[in-house]
Amino acid sequence: MLSLKNISKYYNVGGSKTFVLNKIDLDIDAGEFVSIMGPSGSGKSTLLNIVGLLDEPSEGYHYFLGEPVHNLKEKQRSALYKSNIGFVFQAYHLIDELTVYENIETPLIYQDVKSSERKALVADILDRFQIVGKKDLFPAQLSGGQQQLVGIARALITKPKLLLADEPTGNLNSKQGEDIMELFRKLNKEDGVTIIQVTHSEKNAEFGSRIINLLDGKIDSSRNI
Amino acid sequence: MIGNYFKTAYRSLKKNKGFTAINVLGLSVGLATCLLIVFYVVDKVSYDRYNTNADRIYRITETAKVNGNEQSYAGSEKPLLYMIKDFPEVEKRARFIPVNTLFLSSQKFRVRKGNNDIQEKNVVYTESSVFDMFTLPAISGIPALDEPHTAVITQSTAEKYFNTTDAVGKTLTINDTSFYKITAVIKDIPAQSHFNYDFFLSYTSIREYMAPGWGYGGVHNYVLLKPGADIKKLESEMQAIAYKHYPESMHTNGNYLKYTLTPLLDIHLHSIAQYELSEKGSIQYVYIFSVIAIFILLIACVNFMNLSTARSSNRAREVGVRKVLGSARKYLIYQFLTESVLVTLVSTIIAVVLAWLLMPFFNQLAVKHLAFTLSSMAWLIPSLLVIVVVIGFLAGSYPAFFLSAFQPIEVLKGKLSTGFKGSFLRSSLVVFQFSISIFLIIGTLVIYNQLQFIHNKNLGFNRDQQLVIKNTTVLGNQAKILKHEIKQMPGVLNATMSTYLPTGEDRNVTGLFPALPIDIKQDVLSDFWPVDEDYINTLGIKLIAGRNFSNQMASDSSALIVNEAFVKRFGFKDPLNKTVYRFSFGLQAFHIVGVMKDFNFSSLRDQIKPVALVYNEDRGAVTARVNTANLSGLISQIENKWKNLSPNQQFSYSFMDEDFDATYRAEQRIGALFISFSTLAIVIACLGLFGLAAYAAEQRNKEIGIRKVLGASVSTIVSMLSMDFIKLVFIAIIIASPLAWYAMNRWLQDFAYRINIQWWVLAIAGCTAIVIAFVTISFQSIRAALANPVRSLRSE
Repeated sequence: MLSLKNISKYYNVGGSKTFVLNKIDLDIDAGEFVSIMGPSGSGKSTLLNIVGLLDEPSEGYHYFLGEPVHNLKEKQRSALYKSNIGFVFQAYHLIDELTVYENIETPLIYQDVKSSERKALVADILDRFQIVGKKDLFPAQLSGGQQQLVGIARALITKPKLLLADEPTGNLNSKQGEDIMELFRKLNKEDGVTIIQVTHSEKNAEFGSRIINLLDGKIDSSRNI
Repeated sequence: MIGNYFKTAYRSLKKNKGFTAINVLGLSVGLATCLLIVFYVVDKVSYDRYNTNADRIYRITETAKVNGNEQSYAGSEKPLLYMIKDFPEVEKRARFIPVNTLFLSSQKFRVRKGNNDIQEKNVVYTESSVFDMFTLPAISGIPALDEPHTAVITQSTAEKYFNTTDAVGKTLTINDTSFYKITAVIKDIPAQSHFNYDFFLSYTSIREYMAPGWGYGGVHNYVLLKPGADIKKLESEMQAIAYKHYPESMHTNGNYLKYTLTPLLDIHLHSIAQYELSEKGSIQYVYIFSVIAIFILLIACVNFMNLSTARSSNRAREVGVRKVLGSARKYLIYQFLTESVLVTLVSTIIAVVLAWLLMPFFNQLAVKHLAFTLSSMAWLIPSLLVIVVVIGFLAGSYPAFFLSAFQPIEVLKGKLSTGFKGSFLRSSLVVFQFSISIFLIIGTLVIYNQLQFIHNKNLGFNRDQQLVIKNTTVLGNQAKILKHEIKQMPGVLNATMSTYLPTGEDRNVTGLFPALPIDIKQDVLSDFWPVDEDYINTLGIKLIAGRNFSNQMASDSSALIVNEAFVKRFGFKDPLNKTVYRFSFGLQAFHIVGVMKDFNFSSLRDQIKPVALVYNEDRGAVTARVNTANLSGLISQIENKWKNLSPNQQFSYSFMDEDFDATYRAEQRIGALFISFSTLAIVIACLGLFGLAAYAAEQRNKEIGIRKVLGASVSTIVSMLSMDFIKLVFIAIIIASPLAWYAMNRWLQDFAYRINIQWWVLAIAGCTAIVIAFVTISFQSIRAALANPVRSLRSE
């Protein structure tokens, strides 16, 4: 479903180019669970942002679901992204002024889903994650793990084909982290959601089907588990 | 969707309560001021619009150019209206003769009420057609002024004199000897009218009605024209008539006499004619105030924009998240616009309340009687709604576009992409606002210094503890008796009788000549006041040569005491016993017996002019120099004496120093105006500064964190942050001070006697600005300096 060819991202600093990503080639099929690992500064987050259509590469070809993203206009890219990709952040990034329910429903509002339909969809996912009782609370009233749960629910509400996670357990303790990773595995195996996560933890990477190591902007190794 | 916007807007406003409150306050103050000015402008502009025929009513204005001087007059020749009455364009005509242009009848007007006479000033002699032309509806009777000695009065006048509005058929007693029958009572004339009379008396009652001819220009002529009338044609026809009746010299050698038709609606604001029926407004003030209003609104909006974007880091994260969740930029723009419309709505409501509370104070300032009436609601409410939407969008546009532009990736990492880019604009704004504030502070200080100077100035005569009994003319021969009685009373040091006082409004100017035969080119205009022998002593005027009048010397009937300015004008080296001549009802000769030290008798705006005192009885007023602990007792004693001598006349008095202060009412009002605007400007400037300080503190968040880790103390950081802003205030001081100095000097030039602007005035203004600025910034800078560096340096 996703294909990167010769993707590079660099910045011009005083005449010379500083490469964050250097001629990356990557293919990912639907249904995979990929972990991207590597030392700090290797370009992991940048790669994830490009895959997630949040950033643009300086060079290269990018195909997603058969569409040549590098040729698409802003509007088309945005449409492609809205309905197919969900993002989970390390710092959860919930909107503090909205309740759990409202946070989860926000992506649906931007897709012009009708009010009654929204209610149904949100109720469903609250049920599934077993946080129905928390739906009227504000993020400040939740623990870290619960907040991340809400973040994931929000990312999934639009039934995306691809879920991107940038160090999802980074701010959680080991127990909470494990719960989240279990959830990811279930989503991947049972619902067929393709997941790409960036992580530092070997343990977390074990939950996936493939591990890609980045070093200095290049793919160092890629192995299936 | 909209509901979602409102919900989010409301919640985010509540989250930053302090900031939101300051923002709302700033906008409210700006809007309230604007609102008051709008009321003022609407009032001024709607003068005379209560007349249904307003657009067809014209007043004949006379413009004369004689010997190079051109003047316009609101009054014109009496027969003019007769002459044009047969013109087809003229539907109706009406004449006003206000009492102060009468020359054959008495100018003073006293109406009997019960056992007393009350002085009235709002009196006019006119004719019946006035009530057909202007919209002056009657509440009882039919207004008719064709017969001599008939009158129409207003509602409140009827209440005042007869305790009822049903006064038709009753009689008014005027000046004890004239009786007028009331034919109708009309509704009170709206305040926005260029004439405002309580008494309309029939023109046919006075002798001026009979007086023929051209040469009496005291009549105010109004015409109601038919729709589509040719104004120019009418004007040239009036011209032709006038020239037929005036001597050749009036329209040759560059002289001319022009008649123009001034539209009724132009009179109040646009007229340059003299002797209008009431005090003119000035279109200049309307323009100035309108500009000020727009200006204040603009600055309030800019401040709003400033403050809305100052704390952008909080909103930045939210913007990034929403964009990741699929929000197009335009949705974010709508969201922020909703927020600003909400804030504007709340501010507008508060502004209306504020304006209502401040209305009485504003009325005092502008000498008006503005009010929130039902009719004003008609235009107020729709325009407020429009304002809320327009300003909400206008002021909200910049924050909306600014905040919605954040890129998700950067803000989610904690980077605010704009850096310090917008800060030059913000800094310039703060400098501008403070410059205005400092300018106004300096202006206020100078005005009050000058007022203080005027108040304390030694005028050359004694104005403290001088009791002036007014209108003693009505006592006739008894006036002198009153003066003697007062002089004997305990607590009275001296008393004098004369209309002409240094603080009075009455003046008598005449031409005097130094030699015979009379050479018109040697004419010296001088004030010429008939006084008694107690005048100089009562008023404390100093004699520097010669002697006072004496009732023992028969020759003193042609004696003069003159002031130094008089001597200088005539160029006398040795003024005593010199003779001057006057041509008035025959040739008169006077000899100078004394010279007094100059004293100020007209406004301190003018240089001291020549004045001559002549020994002659004048009964206009009695002035008593008093020195007593029981002032009220003394006054009632005098009032009793008055009542004994003349039981029916109104007793009125004043104190000379109060009369003096009253002549500077205009300057006092300007002073009050300046204080109000200064306060306003400072409030607004502080808001702007507050916004800038918050913005800077946020932008330099990281830098402060790093400095603290490297060992900077709280006070170092506070001074580092504050210094940047104090610099801005200094720039403002440098810009504002010379401008203010120049402007206030120009204003002071109007006064012949004035202060010099001292350097410490500028220093005080500057220091005040710095202190205020520092207090404003301190909150933000101390808070930033106390913040935990760990929090600002945490990135992931």
